[in-house]
Amino acid sequence: MATSEYTILGKSVPRMGGVERVTGAGIYGIDLTLENALHGGILRSQYAHAKIVSIDTSEAEALAGVHAVVTAADAPDVRYGRTLLDRYMLAKHKVRYLGDPVAAVAADTPALVRQALKKIKVVYEPLPVVLDPEETMQPGAPTLHEDMPLPKNLPPDAKVKNVCSYTAVHVGDPQRAMAEADLIVDEVYETKMIHPQYLEPRIAAARLEPDGRLTVWANAQAPFSVRTDVARLVGLPLNKVRVLSAELGGGFGGKASGITSGAAVEPICALLALKTKRAVMIVLDKAEETIATTIRSGARMYLKTGVKKDGTIVARIGKVIYDAGAYSGFGAMAGARCTNMLGGWYRMPNCHIDGYVVYTNKQVCGPVRGPGGPQAAFAVESHMDSIAAKLGMDPVELRLKNTPGPGDKIIGVTKLRDVSLGEALKIAAEKIGWGKAALKKNQGIGIATGSWIESAGPGGGAVVKVNEDGSVTVHIGKIDMGTAPRFGIPSIVAEELGVPVSDVTVVNVDTDASPWDAGTVGSRSIIVSGTAVRLAAIDARRQLLNLAAKQLEANPDDLEIRDKQIRVKGTPAKSVALAAVATAAHNVIGEVIGRGYFDNEAMVAHEKEHGSSQPFAAHACLVEVDPDTGNIKILRYIAVHDVGFVIHPAAVEGQIEGAVAMSLGQALCEQVVLDENGRTLNPSFVDYLMPTINMIPPIETVLVPGYPGAGPYGAKGAGEIGCVPVMAAVANAVFHATGVRIRKLPLSPENVLRALRAARDTPAEKKGA
Amino acid sequence: MSITVSFSVNGKRHTASFEPAASLLEVLRDRLGYKGPKLCCNTGECGACTILLDDKPVNSCVVLGADAAGAAVTTVEGLANGGELHPIQQAFIDAAAVQCGYCTPGYIISVKALLDRTKTPTPAEIEEAVSGNICRCTGYTKILDAIRLAAERMQQGS
Repeated sequence: MATSEYTILGKSVPRMGGVERVTGAGIYGIDLTLENALHGGILRSQYAHAKIVSIDTSEAEALAGVHAVVTAADAPDVRYGRTLLDRYMLAKHKVRYLGDPVAAVAADTPALVRQALKKIKVVYEPLPVVLDPEETMQPGAPTLHEDMPLPKNLPPDAKVKNVCSYTAVHVGDPQRAMAEADLIVDEVYETKMIHPQYLEPRIAAARLEPDGRLTVWANAQAPFSVRTDVARLVGLPLNKVRVLSAELGGGFGGKASGITSGAAVEPICALLALKTKRAVMIVLDKAEETIATTIRSGARMYLKTGVKKDGTIVARIGKVIYDAGAYSGFGAMAGARCTNMLGGWYRMPNCHIDGYVVYTNKQVCGPVRGPGGPQAAFAVESHMDSIAAKLGMDPVELRLKNTPGPGDKIIGVTKLRDVSLGEALKIAAEKIGWGKAALKKNQGIGIATGSWIESAGPGGGAVVKVNEDGSVTVHIGKIDMGTAPRFGIPSIVAEELGVPVSDVTVVNVDTDASPWDAGTVGSRSIIVSGTAVRLAAIDARRQLLNLAAKQLEANPDDLEIRDKQIRVKGTPAKSVALAAVATAAHNVIGEVIGRGYFDNEAMVAHEKEHGSSQPFAAHACLVEVDPDTGNIKILRYIAVHDVGFVIHPAAVEGQIEGAVAMSLGQALCEQVVLDENGRTLNPSFVDYLMPTINMIPPIETVLVPGYPGAGPYGAKGAGEIGCVPVMAAVANAVFHATGVRIRKLPLSPENVLRALRAARDTPAEKKGA
Repeated sequence: MSITVSFSVNGKRHTASFEPAASLLEVLRDRLGYKGPKLCCNTGECGACTILLDDKPVNSCVVLGADAAGAAVTTVEGLANGGELHPIQQAFIDAAAVQCGYCTPGYIISVKALLDRTKTPTPAEIEEAVSGNICRCTGYTKILDAIRLAAERMQQGS
């Protein structure tokens, strides 16, 4: 990689914001202290499905020290949602999951809040609870949303209900092609609901200012989405609402989807602040959060694939049942992505997949790290190994046989530009010792691949201000949660302006001052904000060189910035300090302010013409299965990724390693468990199992150069794709070790043991597939 | 009803009055303003609130404030020497082991307890020392690098 042409890019410079994090400074949302603030709390439904007959708040209101109790009656009659407006900030008429916000309280102390919440009397009329989306789809199932119509694009003969979104993928003539296949493999895969479990609880604070404006503090990934939603829900124009971002202790998409993510904690807090005319702060308890906020949905995926004897895939017919939860949330988008990805990222000439996103009485689907992708990849990449086993073909060979090339299309992408999939796969196979490594008893190797689409969502801007001392202040609309905004983006600004990275500050989002942005979502930080800050820095540089040209009596084109000096190229002695030029700007253009933006429309058009620079990944792992306990030990894990040009190697590796660990959690142990009434049985960290250091081996990341992406300098996003192949890689390794194919997650000791025993008792099941 | 308890935090003496049921984490964060220990699970499972109680690492969310009476408490705020970071803090930055950083204060305290005990920890000792600290961002790979780097630098420095 030609990093040598750059001074800073390609180097792992220390993350901006590291010192305050290692010294324990109170920078996070949860550390916020507002003078004279009231404490807020939310009353949540204790039924997963019920009519609200009445709410009596009088006893709670009568408590000394209680300043406000609010219900839906106190809020404007406005609903919210990402694609469908199907939800009130406080439940009206009905509750649809156990955890649905019903009322809220502001009081002097947290103890008083708890006491007041207990004194609110809600009379419910329980309704039948439906938890399995496939049952909820049946015409005889209870209705969850009386006033939400079925999607208009449903097939005319579809006899379904409670469907909030439908996606059809249709290419070629799959029925005819299937008839010509030598082998058809038909399977069903299922993943469970997991919570992103960022460590910092969600907070919201709100204060009515003397000028009638509302200030909202949120530890949200998308502050502008929060502003839009809060303004709508409390009935204020956008210029009367200011959202300030607190630093985030993790998000992973779980804090991304505007107010949907936190089940409207921000507008509820705002409503309390407006009613009390005081500052109010709400901190969610972690167990409350586990039951009430957005999650990665479970999916049931049917897929039937026809192949030729030589392994060529000829057709796939499939169906996705995607659990939206109680409201549509992010379900429509995630379900559509899952449906497309069930078509795989190999050549697929004939394909039909129906994707149904279905309401159930569960908490709501959110955009968790690669929404829809890991679920689909678990099915697709396990299925590939099943096909290989039935064909008696090497799974790596089968994948290489169907790997697309430049100019090919895959499901959901009309044209690929260049394709790293085959190279990544070969590297992963080589590194793990595919077909060569000497395996001990009960050990197995699994390989799986993945891809991710980066062109989703709008663009965004950047403002780069050069201060009179030559230091640089950068405004973007994306927040930092250990991601590119302060782990790569400062490097871009420093590189373009010829200043040390330590002279660059990327400030946190203030919707009054920051450029609009969709937020730190969708692996988009480096693509959107990276491009925008690069152009903004170039714009600022142009202004600086024009100003310096006058002082140096030179042509701006002959100038360069090096080591905080603006100098004539080739004549370093002829120079002026960057600080002096930035100061001189006060007398001419006011201030050096560079502006840049990422034009999403242009990127989409460019990719349509020249092909998409889709990122690919191939993962390989070595596992050992204990046949007596069902426990799986991951002995080695290799993640091969093409991320295009690498702006900050350690940041990219960190994203991939973290994504792998998160999906290893979903593969091995994680799930939100509900009883038949929809009550979460494992809300606290005591019962919600997540990977600790003991479960995760050092992850060996390999970055494949030579496949430039749509981001600055040819970078690609790296935040989500690391999650995609993991679950299938582990399941394939378990199959390799035991001969047993497990098609339902998690591969917990209990489930593995059960599968091993079932295979032993019915030997036909062995050889899986 | 409230109780009054005296103890030291990072060498500074404090006398605080609080409800008997208050956790040490609540006392440190809400009464005394030490925001380094982080609130997360509140059940002693995640390690974000780890502090040293008389040199022993504990989850301060499941220790009563009353139990700190007469004790010496060390939080992550007490580690840097003026402007100079503790080698463990510096190693976490240098190894890129800090993503969101929310688990970092607890991690650094757990590692300090380990490296105060042994300058040459084995991989098993490292794993055990931080097995109660959940990190959701890093996948632990770079945290392991940071711990090794800190141990190496502290050996050289001593």
